[in-house]
Amino acid sequence: MINLWENLDNMSIVKKHWQETRYTFNLSLSLAKADFKLKNEGSYLGIIWYLLNPILTFTLLFLVFNDRLGQNISNYPLYLLFGIIMFNFFQNCTYESVRIIRESRWIIKSINFPIESLILGIILKNLFSHLFELIVAVAVILFLDANAAGIIFYFIILLFFMVFVFGASLILSSLTVYFNDIENVWSFGVRLLWLGTPIFYAIEGQTNLFYANLLNPMYYFITIARDIIIYSRTPDAWLLLAGIFYSLLVMSLGLFLFRKLKTKLAEKI
Amino acid sequence: MEEKKVIIDNVSKEFLIGYNRNLSATERFVSLFSGREPKKVIDVLKGVSLDIYSGEVMGIIGDNGSGKSTLLRIIAGIYKPDSGSVTANGKIISLINLYIGLKDRLEMRDNIYLCCSLFGLTRREINERFDSIVTFSELSKFINTKIYQFSEGMKQRFVFSIAMHCNPEILLLDEIFEVGDENFREKSVKKIQEIVQIGGCVVLVSHDMEMVNKYCNRVGLISAGHLVGIGKPNEIIGKNLKNFKPDVI
Repeated sequence: MINLWENLDNMSIVKKHWQETRYTFNLSLSLAKADFKLKNEGSYLGIIWYLLNPILTFTLLFLVFNDRLGQNISNYPLYLLFGIIMFNFFQNCTYESVRIIRESRWIIKSINFPIESLILGIILKNLFSHLFELIVAVAVILFLDANAAGIIFYFIILLFFMVFVFGASLILSSLTVYFNDIENVWSFGVRLLWLGTPIFYAIEGQTNLFYANLLNPMYYFITIARDIIIYSRTPDAWLLLAGIFYSLLVMSLGLFLFRKLKTKLAEKI
Repeated sequence: MEEKKVIIDNVSKEFLIGYNRNLSATERFVSLFSGREPKKVIDVLKGVSLDIYSGEVMGIIGDNGSGKSTLLRIIAGIYKPDSGSVTANGKIISLINLYIGLKDRLEMRDNIYLCCSLFGLTRREINERFDSIVTFSELSKFINTKIYQFSEGMKQRFVFSIAMHCNPEILLLDEIFEVGDENFREKSVKKIQEIVQIGGCVVLVSHDMEMVNKYCNRVGLISAGHLVGIGKPNEIIGKNLKNFKPDVI
């Protein structure tokens, strides 16, 4: 009899968690859709704006570096393009996340809702635009007569990459409430990461930079994606394991920190 | 015996607020570079206990800064109490200054989906209630109009209509009860009474003593964070003569 009650109790806990998760996800999706519409609202170019930034960055870097840095890298245009669009996803999500809590302060002060949805909404919205960028990337692959089949496996990497970006965004968004200047610090941090990650250059032969990049989760995700999509080879097991390890670590840390700090969010903003 | 919808048990809350005091030269120097202001602790709520029953419209009155809105936010779960506890038996919908996250540059249609999701409705539930929300707000002609083109009255009707269609069992209202024109007011009051009749409850924070006297079954008076009186509206409002408008009765 006791077991039955315990089971019923467990069932209701599971049901409650399921309802909360569904609430968070539904709300995140609605926020993502609304923001996506808002971004295109009143714009003549619409979603082309999403593509313009990575395309222009790609064109510029390609023209500048192709002759020198790109010489020893096979398929340099694709190498560069995947580096840019993956970094772009990370950069956009984290930039928006450091601002979102302050921008949403009135709603946080007026309604009790899962605040994580604001961050997940940002990730989902940027996922839409990332998918558009992927379409462009596939077009470039086909244009260069390369093998596009590897893109199928990219979605598995993208899943772990999203988990990592979500975790990083949770950490940044919760810290922004306690440290006013995190936005400035982060814009510097992103610039440093952009230069430190092998996006437009190869890391081979640069020992110090290589060791530094072992602590940089972006390095793993970008390298794995390039291996699979551009070079049609299985990435080294240690790269895969490190990628999974970092995504789970950052996500757990993000959830822990956000849940710890969010109870005070409404009071601090 | 009526069901207790909200149980507030010995709740206290303090806030750190910035204030001016004479700083020493070193403190001034440090605060110039660190940007940190001196802070002082204030007790916003001190040992507040209150039960709110189903079928009840509970008014909360008091001076500005006495802790009314903080109490409402604690009931809603927006703020966590420093000590004591709040138990709510039912779905809470809070309307604090009519802010429910409307996006001005989006059409009314998109805002319905967004705001209802914020109040925990699934897409299917929103689809089912969509027409009713639009009809209740009397804004059928403006379904594809962006919110920034709405007048304040239209916005109020819209927000109110959304909140009423999100299954409120415990409705928390801050300075809002009657919105819109005469016709809409009657309709909104009727809707709130329906919620109360089917076993819900309403907590109304207000300075408008006429409104509190007219609609509330019981009133709590908060002064400097303490619940100093609770009882029938005419008894409690009498205690709070400072804010009371004599021409009302």
